[in-house]
Amino acid sequence: MAGLSGDQVLEIDDKLEDIQNNINKNGNCDSNLTNREVIDKAGLVVRGEENSNNNNQGGEREMAPPASNSIHRSGSRPQLDLSKAAIQGSSEERDPTILLPNQSDDISHLALDIGGSLIKLVYFSRHEDRSIDDKRKKTVQERLGISNGNRRSYPILGGRLHFVKFETSKLNECLDFISSKQLHRGGIDSHHWNSEAPANENAVIKATGGGAYKFADLFKERLGVSIDKEDEMDCLVAGANFLLKAIRHEAFTHMEGHKEFVQIDHNDLFPYLLVNIGSGVSMIKVDGDGKFQRVSGTNVGGGTYWGLGRLLTKCKSFDELLELSQRGDNRTIDMLVGDIYGGMDYSKIGLSASTIASSFGKAISDKKELEDYRPEDISLSLLRMISYNIGQISYLNALRFGLKRIFFGGFFIRGHAYTMDTISFAVHFWSQGEAQAMFLRHEGFLGALGAFMSYEKHGLDDLMVHHLVERFPMGAPYTGGEIHGPPLGDLNEKISWMEKFVLKGTEITAPVPMAPPGTTGLGGFEVPSSKGGTLRSDASALNVGVLHLVPTLEVFPLLANPKMYEPNTIDLSDHSELEYWFTVLSEHMPDLVEKAVASEGGTDDAKRRGDAFARAFSAHLARLMEEPAAYGKLGLANLLELREECLREFQFLDAYRSIKQRENEASLAVLPDLLMELDCMDEEARLLTLIEGVLAANIFDWGSRACVDLYHEGTIIEIYRMSRNKMQRPWRVDDFDLFKERMLGSEGKKPQPHKRALLFVDNSGADVVLGMLPLARELLRCGTEVVLVANSLPALNDVTAMELPDIVAEAAKHCDILRRAAEAGGLLVDAMNNTLDGSKENASSVPLMVVENGCGSPCIDLRQVSSELAAAAKDADLIILEGMGRALHTNFNARFKCEALKLAMVKNQRLAEKLIKGKIYDCVCRYEPAN
Amino acid sequence: MDLLADVSNQQNSEPGSQISHLALDIGGSLIKLVYFSRNNVSRRDDDEQKSRKESLGVLQSDTSQPVLEGRLHFAKFETSKINDCLDFIHSKKLRLGGFRDHAAASSDKIFIKATGGGAYKFADLFKEKLEISLDKEDEMNCLVTGANFLLKAVHQEAFTYLDGQKEFVQIDHNDLYPYLLVNIGSGVSMIKVDGDGKFERVSGTNLGGGTFWGLGRLLTKCKNFDELLELSHQGNNRVIDMLVGDIYGGTDYAKVGLSATTIASSFGKAISDNKELEEYKPEDISRSLLRMISNNIGQISYLNALRFGLKRIFFAGFFIRGHAYTMDTISVAVHFWSKGEAKAMFLRHEGFLGALGAFMSYEKQSLDGLMVHKIMQRFPISVSSAGDKIYCSLNSDWNLNDDSIQCSVYGT
Repeated sequence: MAGLSGDQVLEIDDKLEDIQNNINKNGNCDSNLTNREVIDKAGLVVRGEENSNNNNQGGEREMAPPASNSIHRSGSRPQLDLSKAAIQGSSEERDPTILLPNQSDDISHLALDIGGSLIKLVYFSRHEDRSIDDKRKKTVQERLGISNGNRRSYPILGGRLHFVKFETSKLNECLDFISSKQLHRGGIDSHHWNSEAPANENAVIKATGGGAYKFADLFKERLGVSIDKEDEMDCLVAGANFLLKAIRHEAFTHMEGHKEFVQIDHNDLFPYLLVNIGSGVSMIKVDGDGKFQRVSGTNVGGGTYWGLGRLLTKCKSFDELLELSQRGDNRTIDMLVGDIYGGMDYSKIGLSASTIASSFGKAISDKKELEDYRPEDISLSLLRMISYNIGQISYLNALRFGLKRIFFGGFFIRGHAYTMDTISFAVHFWSQGEAQAMFLRHEGFLGALGAFMSYEKHGLDDLMVHHLVERFPMGAPYTGGEIHGPPLGDLNEKISWMEKFVLKGTEITAPVPMAPPGTTGLGGFEVPSSKGGTLRSDASALNVGVLHLVPTLEVFPLLANPKMYEPNTIDLSDHSELEYWFTVLSEHMPDLVEKAVASEGGTDDAKRRGDAFARAFSAHLARLMEEPAAYGKLGLANLLELREECLREFQFLDAYRSIKQRENEASLAVLPDLLMELDCMDEEARLLTLIEGVLAANIFDWGSRACVDLYHEGTIIEIYRMSRNKMQRPWRVDDFDLFKERMLGSEGKKPQPHKRALLFVDNSGADVVLGMLPLARELLRCGTEVVLVANSLPALNDVTAMELPDIVAEAAKHCDILRRAAEAGGLLVDAMNNTLDGSKENASSVPLMVVENGCGSPCIDLRQVSSELAAAAKDADLIILEGMGRALHTNFNARFKCEALKLAMVKNQRLAEKLIKGKIYDCVCRYEPAN
Repeated sequence: MDLLADVSNQQNSEPGSQISHLALDIGGSLIKLVYFSRNNVSRRDDDEQKSRKESLGVLQSDTSQPVLEGRLHFAKFETSKINDCLDFIHSKKLRLGGFRDHAAASSDKIFIKATGGGAYKFADLFKEKLEISLDKEDEMNCLVTGANFLLKAVHQEAFTYLDGQKEFVQIDHNDLYPYLLVNIGSGVSMIKVDGDGKFERVSGTNLGGGTFWGLGRLLTKCKNFDELLELSHQGNNRVIDMLVGDIYGGTDYAKVGLSATTIASSFGKAISDNKELEEYKPEDISRSLLRMISNNIGQISYLNALRFGLKRIFFAGFFIRGHAYTMDTISVAVHFWSKGEAKAMFLRHEGFLGALGAFMSYEKQSLDGLMVHKIMQRFPISVSSAGDKIYCSLNSDWNLNDDSIQCSVYGT
């Protein structure tokens, strides 16, 4: 699988691993390494996530002996500063974290777009996501036929793409930022491949935009780097192509104040029209990567708006002028059809009375002087004149070349709602609804991204949509998409900043339900009906997050129709739905914070982090309430994941750790009795009891408010038994008989057992131990291989792939079936040596395996799962999805190529009503034959 | 055809002439009048009646015989000075150019054909001041009828204008359609014309004459449209427009075929300069504005012509006013975007299409039963310079004496 590009870009890895090998050998690497030229400034505590794969080293060493790969380094490439490196915690831990206190953020590439008003930075930091990586996993991988689990198998580099903006007038802040993060050392130096000379002497940074010439000397002087100027239009197109191909919901339409994300099939992307509205306007027909032609343009662009606006209003900045337009009424200055026709429409040709017949046309006949007009009105009139005109000319050009899609970008738009509405309206109006104007979430960054892509080895060529995850770290609600302040370094800085932010009195308390977003009501270029408050320019500008490149993610191969797949069941574009879930999340927050703080020992530090988390997450919610599209297409799954990510950001790695542990223990204690009870039943009764058990045990869910209240009333086993006794068939959705027939057959005919079943497990404790494990055991008994699919990272009290093997091992002590299968699946560490020694004695037993799903959310988006899960899916013919998050909130409507069983108890009244017209605690047992 | 000899050169104000068929086009900024003054007609009355009767039976009338001789007069007023217009109509007794409603023969109600938005807006005023009812004709209809009439009937009506060179174009009547008619008034309408009465408004833009004059007034304190236009003549738009050369350090952006002097962004230089409005010369502002709007109209027109496969684009309306630089800019825009394949054409009577069209609409219900099917211009270029001239093109290096056309009316 290792492609050529992989080898090229992965040289750094080898170095890293060499270094790590040395660390491991010596415990302390200080003496061995000389790469001190790097960075001591930032003083960042990077928990060495990129270094956490040190368990790979065994394999790595065999493949690429250290001795042979210390050459062919690009001198300019940054290297790790390993001074004061130390392994944190016990070295016997499976995943010791290596602290490199003096290493800068990461290893980076940097590209710039230096425009007249803004500087846009795009930089890449190497960053392998943490994953379980041990012998056990290796066994699973071997079993699943993944030849080699290390990252060499992937054509692209894992890491993160960061997007940052600075005002050009504050160039020094930008230089400081680059310098503090040492971003410029990541630039590729084409001349000094083997040089011993200080690396950055001839380092080159790719840049585009007019300022790339203007400030070249300053960059040389301050950072010692040369600017390599890339053609602006090349960059623009490369950036747009990348975004449209790599980001699922990059493009959106904007009509009457409403944003709607559009998923574009990248096989059907070209040709399109790219309209870049800067000072002037360029219209570019794009036919493919690097294949484009400037077909048109207009001199009436952003410069005209700002130039004329400045002369007419005395505004001091573009943004001020734009802001003014929000409160304007263009009717005082534009001549409308109604003004000419005495208030009547000219309906014969479809012009309504409010259509603008002539921009600024009223200034003709009025006796008023310039001073007599409100600057607000002038600004709006100007804005609409120019937006409308651009929309019209763009549409005519799209028509001319038969282009279906028109994407608008450039600084003139700036996420400004009126501007987008007016352009959209023009395109809609002239095309009679046949063409749509689309906008890009990352529109400000096209040029910078393009410049980034112009590095020969940026490693993004083979990037696919499913490799990318966008995250919105703290600061995103305030600074994402906005201009960055000083760089935030470590967690402590973040927390202080949060605290300061709150002190400033900015409203970021719990989300306040707002009126549904107003419409700009452009029914014929009418004056937008909504004013300032509901359509603030800063509110409608979308946030830009950090793009995580995770090469190990794949599309789940068993999806019947991956292109049509939509993970979310609940559509949050319905405002009341959004409000409801926001309230649920807000109400749940105090309890969550309490658990999180307790999980970290309840120290003052933990409390402080807990507060910061609460503020940050509230701010996220407030931001999303204000603009649901702010972070891209919003579904419930995204919201729930956002919460988990936010927790991790404040280093609450597992808020429910102790609860999970306690419940696992309690449940394991009663498991033997349950198994005995089950073994006394006949096949049919047992199957029903097992399914009942899964549904009943699903009641243990710390994500559900209703259930959390329940827990105060009894012990786990009591609740479990009560819950099971209440199971009255028929359930609200009840396909049990169908499933039973598939499992047991009818009229004495024994059906073929399944070859392999994927069991997507949900919560820890009773849910997995008393619900899913017994079901797994039954499948194993039938001769079906079982793969337990669990989260890669903690989310609420969901069981993780890290925890499962221990649980299985504990359960196996009481059950032979589980033990043999777990041994066969390599889950029992002690027994594993035998297996590895080549003993095939367990070959007769079907294996029980555990794989991680690649995500850290209570829901699962099957477009982005781990490669292990994808591999495990290849031979699977049964999928069992369990729990609200994975079977109801997401995937309720998903269709699979193989049989699927969706099991869950609905622990939310509203969801029960909405989804199954039922009530809280109703159960879903949905069986779907292969598609 | 020797009837030319019959044509007298009497002025319409002279007692012998008879006013008939006044029509108005009341736009957002200007009112245009067209009326016909008949020459001595007594000799023709019988013929006229006869031919009319004949036409009702077998179509056998001699179409080579004009039924009327006279002049078509053209006049303009600013809409804001509508009272001047009313006085003019009153003093010239143009009111008689209307018709009476047959159904209400007893009443004195006089109807006058009118078009333009103001025909609705000022209807009451006409009623009150002149006791005239305005019979509203559809604007677009009038525009097209007027253009079709001019292009077919008037010799040397259309011309191109490039690099200061005006060139009349002889258009084959049989190869006239389809064409694009771009009427630049306060706003701009773009009409695809497929034949007499066959047309469709396919596009338009709100950046029109009103924008030029409105923005210009705010930016320069000019007192009237012509003054603003005149200013542009002496202006230099490079002072205020951002050119491609300004961005690329004086060089062309050859890769995409943009020369250094191409305007990248109209008014774009006003961004970075620290100059206030007062520090810019009104001449330069006017020039910039004119180029911005002309260029834009030229571009959108070309794109629409292209879209419908139209060979010819005629530009008309008051924005042009025979102003050389305006026509030049529009022509350059069309030439630039079409890579020389399309040509902008202009009409000598550009401002009067609507009024002419309204005039032509008398055909159906004219009071005296006149069957006007054809009006032929008798003299290629009229030299009449009547006293009803309101505007003159101050800066035109070639002055179109479009105040009246000597013509003959033929019945069918």
